[in-house]
Amino acid sequence: MLEVEDLAVSYGGTTALAGVAISVKEREAVCVVGPNGAGKSTLLAAIAGGVPPKRGRIRFDGKDLVGMRAENIARLGISLVPEGRHVFGTLTVEENLFIGTYAMSDQRHAQRDAEQLLGYFPRLKERWRQPAGRLSGGEQQMLVIARALMTRPRLVMVDEPSLGLAPKIVDTVYSTLLALRAERGLTLLVNEQSSDRMLKFSERIYVLRNGRILLHGNTADLQDGEAITRAYFGFDEHHTPATSEAAA
Amino acid sequence: MINFAQTFIDALSLGSLYALAALGIGLLFGILRLINFAYGDLITLGAYALIIPSTEAVATLFIGGWPWFMVIIAVAVIVVAAALLSDLLVFRHIRRADPATLMIASFAVSFVIQNVILMFYGSRPKSVDLWSNLNYQIAVSGLRIPLLQIVTILATLVLMGGLTLLLKRTALGIQMRAAAEDFRMARYLGVRGNLVIGLAFAISGVLAAVASLLLLSQTGTLSQTMGVPLMLFAFIATVVGGMGSLIGAATGGFAVAFASVFLQAYLPDDLRPFRDSFVFGIVILMLLFRPAGLVPTKALVERV
Amino acid sequence: MTDTAQRRFLRAALPVLALLLGVTAITALVALLGNDEMALTVTEALVRLIVVVGLSVFIGNSGVVSFGHIGFMCIAAYAAAWATCNPMWKQLMLTGLPVFLQQAQYPFWVAVAGGAVLAAAVALVFGAVILRLSGIAASIATFAFLAIVNNVYSNWDSVTAGVSSIIGIPTVVGPWTGLAFALGAIVLAFWFKGSRFGLMLRATRDDPVAARASGVSIVRVRLAAFVLSAFIVGIGGALFVQFLGVATVDMFYLQLTFITLAMLIIGGMGSVTGAIVGVFAVTVFVEFFRFLESGVAVGESVLALPEGSQEIALGIGMALILIFRPKGLTGSRELRLPGLGSSRRAMAPPLTTTEATARS
Ligand SMILES: Nc1ncnc2c1ncn2[C@@H]1O[C@H](COP(=O)(O)OP(=O)(O)OP(=O)(O)O)[C@@H](O)[C@H]1O
Ligand SMILES: [Mg+2]
Repeated sequence: MLEVEDLAVSYGGTTALAGVAISVKEREAVCVVGPNGAGKSTLLAAIAGGVPPKRGRIRFDGKDLVGMRAENIARLGISLVPEGRHVFGTLTVEENLFIGTYAMSDQRHAQRDAEQLLGYFPRLKERWRQPAGRLSGGEQQMLVIARALMTRPRLVMVDEPSLGLAPKIVDTVYSTLLALRAERGLTLLVNEQSSDRMLKFSERIYVLRNGRILLHGNTADLQDGEAITRAYFGFDEHHTPATSEAAA
Repeated sequence: MINFAQTFIDALSLGSLYALAALGIGLLFGILRLINFAYGDLITLGAYALIIPSTEAVATLFIGGWPWFMVIIAVAVIVVAAALLSDLLVFRHIRRADPATLMIASFAVSFVIQNVILMFYGSRPKSVDLWSNLNYQIAVSGLRIPLLQIVTILATLVLMGGLTLLLKRTALGIQMRAAAEDFRMARYLGVRGNLVIGLAFAISGVLAAVASLLLLSQTGTLSQTMGVPLMLFAFIATVVGGMGSLIGAATGGFAVAFASVFLQAYLPDDLRPFRDSFVFGIVILMLLFRPAGLVPTKALVERV
Repeated sequence: MTDTAQRRFLRAALPVLALLLGVTAITALVALLGNDEMALTVTEALVRLIVVVGLSVFIGNSGVVSFGHIGFMCIAAYAAAWATCNPMWKQLMLTGLPVFLQQAQYPFWVAVAGGAVLAAAVALVFGAVILRLSGIAASIATFAFLAIVNNVYSNWDSVTAGVSSIIGIPTVVGPWTGLAFALGAIVLAFWFKGSRFGLMLRATRDDPVAARASGVSIVRVRLAAFVLSAFIVGIGGALFVQFLGVATVDMFYLQLTFITLAMLIIGGMGSVTGAIVGVFAVTVFVEFFRFLESGVAVGESVLALPEGSQEIALGIGMALILIFRPKGLTGSRELRLPGLGSSRRAMAPPLTTTEATARS
């Protein structure tokens, strides 16, 4: 469904991505892990049209996304939940939730979808008419995930959902994402700094460091964590990217 | 007491004018991070649109002679067109630039508009008699209130009310508020950037048009730089009120007007000419001690 | 590769020398071969060069756009006017001036030094207050400063003659004086850029977080640049009134702010070469349009562009530069001479903070 090839991005002088290739198949849960500054957020932002690539290709269902506007990429069915939540603080919870459907002027399923999502996040219903800026961090994370799903995207990208949240809430977030995937046939691409939780959550893992993919493989083959640790801390940096045999 | 009440009404009417202009500037800053210096020249343009282009000293009314509602509509159309054109030709191409660069670009636009006006209308100030019956004064229990002040306050209330309805109650308005707070996030959710920005330019154009008519009926004189002082005060109003917040912009407009009018009324005689310095000094103090303004938005703290 | 200190010095110094020679050559050419009017144009351009180079000392190194420097120019210009204008006139019109200014008439040098030092002193106080503000907030504060200076000088009648002009200032500045100071300003700007403070300042511009972490006091290095740039701009102001013979507060407001910023941006904000190229390019451009406005004979008839075309063209030119070449004509790089390789100091490569502090 999503093919990224040879993607390079730089901000002014600093190179954030230097030739990254990943692919995500329909209904997969794929994860990108890497330390601070690895380029994870940049990768997702580039796919979503938030930063312009310097070179490379990004294809979604065979369609080239490079050069497309973010709002049009969203219309193709890609939804990004960026790092740091980004609720619209002065808008109410309700308004936050419906932004996407207003923008795409698609209200057909909006009420029903909202009801259904609120089933997963009952706390939001209690705060329905309050400014979203007053929600707690966990509530905000739930709101942005629900918001991203309102336009019925097929690929949902979440950037570090665990950032600044208590482990229990992180568990809820991930189990909700998996439940939603089962229910709606979503495809998930998630960034995290640590791979621990990802070994349970995802089917495939990419390790990103210094703007390069250093390892990628099926989660099943990487359960002992050794290879990931090596790649993560850059022990293999000067070799060609390791690929576990079974990787697709 | 009468004196105080009179001063108060003066401040209210001046504040209305500032608030109108500040809303136009605040709206664009919120969405684009553009401090639009050309805003003052849009106001000037609106006023010049009333007369026939000529370099002669005497102004001949053109649009200005039409019935009042036609005047408002025609001037609004012209100013909105100019505002949209400035976006289409200049600002659209530098969306990613930093605020200071945007501000400089708006300087360039301002310079061009001023000199286009000069080219078509000549450099001499011209007197124009627009709606002079508004200078009629109403006497209310010892107060003398020019009709124009009441009209200014009412016009502002109507426009602010309309704008609030638009922003709170319509799908497009909610998208605009979202975009004003976090433009990139809004686009990730499918909000069309150019649509929202175009609308913001259009609204700011309408506000500038009304401001120009009110300003002209007050001063009765056209000059190429007539909009500049209003723009400057509106600009500092947005800083004082809280950049990026519309309530802040309006509040700031009234705050700056009250500061000006009351300083004018109560400063000692020899300091009175320096009133504007005090007002600009307040801006610096605000930036230092309350950078988010009187009505802070969370979004702004990260912005400025 | 071994590199002797001498070669390194040459690498840094030769491009600067080339720029100095270039400016001198153009001035000499126009002053010696052109008519009187052209000599006036070149003098004015040199004064503006001083102002724009002064601007670039702060804006180019700190990355913070200042809208307030014309305020410093105004302060220095009036100081020079007070010092040099005819005492009879002063006693009549500027009754609020202190006696030492009112009674005497000071020489050119004193006026220039006094004006520049006053501007630098005001910059020191004002900068210490506002330079801890971040980018756009600092820019807004500088703008407020410009407005305050304009308001004070427009209304302080007994000292500045209000909105009317101070007249009777000896017009002693011609192309050669302008040239001497312009060369001095260029050398000063390059010196600052290569100095420890200049390097640290550019490090804070390129990576403020890392710079702060490494202990560089952003306010202190910014302040140094601010004061120096106000000093240079002040020299420009003091020369300007002694070139024109009059001082009016309106000369030092939005219009001049716009034109000097336009020059800096068109040339390239990040380099001294950019400032020089910008002044040159805009001056030629404006003169060309002024010529067209005055009328060109085409066969029988005279075609003239209408009044205002020059300004419109400048505004459009500036917008085009911002859109298509945001780093200016020079790409914000310093002049490079072929065959010398790259010169670290004069080139001002993007420095890491550690590099900058390690050199300090
Ligand atoms: N807006 C920006 N301007 C300049 N440099 C940036 C910007 N955003 C990211 N970078 C740089 O690009 C590199 C990659 O950043 P990115 O945010 O993609 O990393 P990340 O893997 O998401 O890190 P983290 O785990 O801390 O979120 C870093 O070196 C960062 O400093
Ligand atoms: Mg990140």
